[in-house]
Amino acid sequence: MTLLSGSLAADFGGTTDAVVALHGVKVHYPVKEGVLQRVTGQVRAVDGVDLSIPRGQTLGLVGESGCGKTTLGRVIAGLVAPTGGDIWVDVDATQHSEIERLRGVATEDRSPEDQASWKSLESNHRLGSMSRDKQSRYRRNCQVVFQDAFSSLNPRQLVRDIVGRPLRVHKEASGEDLDRRVIELLERVGLDSQHLLRFPHQFSGGQRQRISIARALALNPEFVILDEPTSALDVSVQAQILNLLVDLQKDLGLTYLFITHDLGVVQHMSDRIAVMYLGQIAEYGPTADVFNSPLHPYSRILRDSNPTLEDSLDTVKWDLSGTVPNPVNPPQGCRLHPRCPVARAECGWSIDDVLTDAERNTPVVFETISRVERSSDFRATVSFSEPEQAKKFAKRIGSLAAHEALEQPIRLDDKLVEVSFNEVSEAQLQQLKDGRWSSCTRTQNLGALPEL
Amino acid sequence: MTTLNRSQETSKRASVARESALSVKWARRREVAQEVFRNPLTVLGLIIIGLFFLMALAAPLLTEANTPDPYQSPRDWSNISVPPGEAGHVLGTDATGGDVLYGIIWGSRLSLQLSLTVVGFTLVFGTIVGSIAAMRGGRLDNLLMRVVDVFLSIPELIFALAIAAVLGPSFRNIILALAAVFWVKYARIVRGEIIRIKQAEYVAAAKVTGDSTWNIYRKDVLPNAVSPLVVQATLDMGNVVLIGATLSFIGLAQAGLTEWGAMVSAGQSGLLAGEWWLSTFAGLAIVLWALAFNLVGDGLRDVLDPKTEGR
Amino acid sequence: MARSDDWLLRVDDLSVHFESSKGVAHAVDHVSFDIYPHETLALVGETGCGKSVTARSILRLVPEPPGSYASGSISLRNGDGSVTEILTATERTVRSIRGDRISMIFQDPGKALNPGLTIGRQLAEVFGEHRMSMILGNAGFDPEKPSRTATKIVQQRAGLLERGVYRLTHLRAPKALQKSIDDSVMEALADTGIPNPRKMLGSYPHELSGGMKQRVMIAQALACDPDLLIADEPTTALDVTIQARILDLIHEMQQRRGMAILYITHDLSLVRQFADRVAVMYAGRLAEIGPSAEVLASPQHPYTQGLLAAIPRPATPRGQLAAIPGTVPQLIDPPAQCHFASRCSFAAAACHEVTPQLLTIAEKRDVSCHRFDTASRIGVSPQDMPSAATLGGVASS
Repeated sequence: MTLLSGSLAADFGGTTDAVVALHGVKVHYPVKEGVLQRVTGQVRAVDGVDLSIPRGQTLGLVGESGCGKTTLGRVIAGLVAPTGGDIWVDVDATQHSEIERLRGVATEDRSPEDQASWKSLESNHRLGSMSRDKQSRYRRNCQVVFQDAFSSLNPRQLVRDIVGRPLRVHKEASGEDLDRRVIELLERVGLDSQHLLRFPHQFSGGQRQRISIARALALNPEFVILDEPTSALDVSVQAQILNLLVDLQKDLGLTYLFITHDLGVVQHMSDRIAVMYLGQIAEYGPTADVFNSPLHPYSRILRDSNPTLEDSLDTVKWDLSGTVPNPVNPPQGCRLHPRCPVARAECGWSIDDVLTDAERNTPVVFETISRVERSSDFRATVSFSEPEQAKKFAKRIGSLAAHEALEQPIRLDDKLVEVSFNEVSEAQLQQLKDGRWSSCTRTQNLGALPEL
Repeated sequence: MTTLNRSQETSKRASVARESALSVKWARRREVAQEVFRNPLTVLGLIIIGLFFLMALAAPLLTEANTPDPYQSPRDWSNISVPPGEAGHVLGTDATGGDVLYGIIWGSRLSLQLSLTVVGFTLVFGTIVGSIAAMRGGRLDNLLMRVVDVFLSIPELIFALAIAAVLGPSFRNIILALAAVFWVKYARIVRGEIIRIKQAEYVAAAKVTGDSTWNIYRKDVLPNAVSPLVVQATLDMGNVVLIGATLSFIGLAQAGLTEWGAMVSAGQSGLLAGEWWLSTFAGLAIVLWALAFNLVGDGLRDVLDPKTEGR
Repeated sequence: MARSDDWLLRVDDLSVHFESSKGVAHAVDHVSFDIYPHETLALVGETGCGKSVTARSILRLVPEPPGSYASGSISLRNGDGSVTEILTATERTVRSIRGDRISMIFQDPGKALNPGLTIGRQLAEVFGEHRMSMILGNAGFDPEKPSRTATKIVQQRAGLLERGVYRLTHLRAPKALQKSIDDSVMEALADTGIPNPRKMLGSYPHELSGGMKQRVMIAQALACDPDLLIADEPTTALDVTIQARILDLIHEMQQRRGMAILYITHDLSLVRQFADRVAVMYAGRLAEIGPSAEVLASPQHPYTQGLLAAIPRPATPRGQLAAIPGTVPQLIDPPAQCHFASRCSFAAAACHEVTPQLLTIAEKRDVSCHRFDTASRIGVSPQDMPSAATLGGVASS
């Protein structure tokens, strides 16, 4: 359960109003194997995210492939149903603290006023509990601009029908009125009436993206989710589109959720940034702060890996080792620790880590493992076919950073190795300074990013 | 006031726009047609098909319909097994004095009937089944696809043969048998296409606009799934006649029917005696029909290839 | 134009045309540049500028219809001082150059690897082809007089029957051969930082991540120590953290082996970190070429200036990225003028009438822009010329 007093969802980024507030949102996909399609595990695409999107600002959502940012965007847009957690819509700070208070009170212990309050909040603000009307209003108010402008426009529809469709579906306009409004929308994004009756393939990438934006604006939304809107565009075209987006935000008072993997773009466009890794938020804070003084090793690594035209080429660059872990079975403690350059004892070393290390770095030893008997994720007895290999295995653990996390010395008994690590609970996102959140255990303990 | 003028202008442009919307759609179709006509082989196929269609439709004008059954060649008992060109029979007669030319002409009507009915039914039914499977997914999809798999595991010809044999020899039963066997092909094609299309972002975008599943299917999914169906349907117009001819060749049609396959079969025994015209002309008709549709189908496939579509 | 004679590869006045239903597209239009040994030259430009086509022309990989080499030459200097003309050489010669002297890695490693073969098998083919004598030698054979079957086995061309017979008639040789092949493959894989090379031998491409596949492709490309490696957007499809490591790897291998690299990219920030020189292309032509630090710090061609200004930087106020107005012109039957004129803030009459030539404005810096030229040289009247420019004190020629 998330610490209520320390939930990122309560951080409204300096505003008093959030367009959307997420509590513990999860999206898990079952993994089915075998002829009978038995469920053998869950892909944890989004694994417990608390987040609020402040009104009138741009929140940047950054991460690499597989981090869950696209899935999170789709959950907020209503394209994907979350498998866990709540999504609250249009809440202000007072309502939000009331929600948090009531969540902490068990249902049985709630007073009648509490229950009424909860019911009222739910029916007015909670996605899934709201009336059909309100739900539909949210859907109209929250629009999406997708990445690949070619595949986000139906190749067989005219621009007029593509952009006018939201109006038609919600019966807001028809006939001549519809055309008029579509032309207005096209003009707002820098196109005009001559483009009305063309097909998508007749346009360049930048123009198609403008059409996409025009469609998103058709219903006068307050909130637009931009899923990698310029990643497929050339730099000069990207500049045009980004400028357009900023102008629209100013003119129409829009709130943006800007999802991207391009650090230069997100730095330019966002007021605040959430960095995601393996389905969870690693760091959150004002853009400039997160980039200039990151509070999570992953943010630092992302920044260092991103070549820019400015930075001096001599700064020490932090590096990620290994490869992305299996999202079905993420690492214990802090999910980054097997790859993190500053991981230490408290970061969540477990049996899986030493086994993966053996598989990768001492394959000969790994192949001689005959059995692994686990009593928990942190304690196990590993059996080898030869005592020589068992000794090598034990010695190897001693040389890893993981050995500091051992609860007791490794017990070597002929062909058996008994390993037992300290149990570490999952890393939590905590507020370190005003408006700056990090889930790095070491940073939380030290109050600053650890040294390399 | 400037605002009023601007909105007036927009309205005017809008009404002009609406008038030309239809013409734009037709302009695009014309473009596609032009692409098709660019291939000489495709044009050849279209010409041959055109001729067959004309022949089929104008049959009562070209020759006098026989009574009581126009699909039985009028018997000229005094001129049995006459070679082409003799006794007023341009293509000769068969062993019962039936005019070969008559058979070819009226046979084309049967071919047209066969192919249109079978392809029409299988296309519609297969699309419905495939669409339901792909749009719903889950267990229904599994169930329907297993049914399709069962059908596909039996060779088409043998399956059709079995059904026709059970139902009894008649042309109508051949149509039924072929329809029962061919629909699965379309179900599979449609299902595959829809699953592919569902991944496209414009479907997600349509969902975000709030449109209903039926509308999304109608406007976004189906129109983009149509191309391979059109190609397959065209090819099948030819193949159905080929297989139908095979079935009637084996004897699953009524005796003496002016169906090309039956005619080839009837002329078989005469081949050794040097009476080539019946089997040959009927066989030629079958080949030309199938060839023509294959040429057009291939030409369509080249034009409708998604790679060139998304230019 | 600034050119010295110790070049490794010389591209001279290269033009590549493509036939299309709408006309002839000039994908590459009279492009000239040199690549010197051991250096990294970055070829930069946006979509459709012709950089990929140029790169593929070097290995004569452009499909020849619809493409055609309309003009120019590509010359490769050999070890003995002679020069091979790639565009006119025989197919056999070109094939011997490919992989051996000039190698290439592509953007999408997944597409370059055969999904039906294990990594070990695929690389064995490459290594068998190019490292025959070393493999034979390590297996105990005399590299000068190899038996035909042994050669075929190393090249992975021996059929099952042949191999079976060989195994029966020669006792330890087949095993030694296989081990020799595997060893050289594993060594190359380990060289690229792959953690468990032995496991990799038996893996299939679909089991690997993008970064791993790219490392395999690099191992494959460097199998025979080429003199020139062409890298066509090798990291565009990879995550930024993996990208950094792959680029470091390529850089490191360059240091160790001393090869030259032609690096194709659209990302100017990468150029700064990895390239010695950079050539900027626009609409099939070279706009500017020079040492990367200098070009990035003080770009001379208006297009390069516009490109740099369009990149989002922390200092730029939001919404005020300097976007280049307009769009890239069509490459079909281009008029004889500066391709950038319609979008250039400096454009004048001369720019719409005369194609600019590549001029040397400083040591090793070339620009093709009329601002650095004189009215008399081009043959227009002075009032048709755009405002003159100088490179930080160095007067234009």
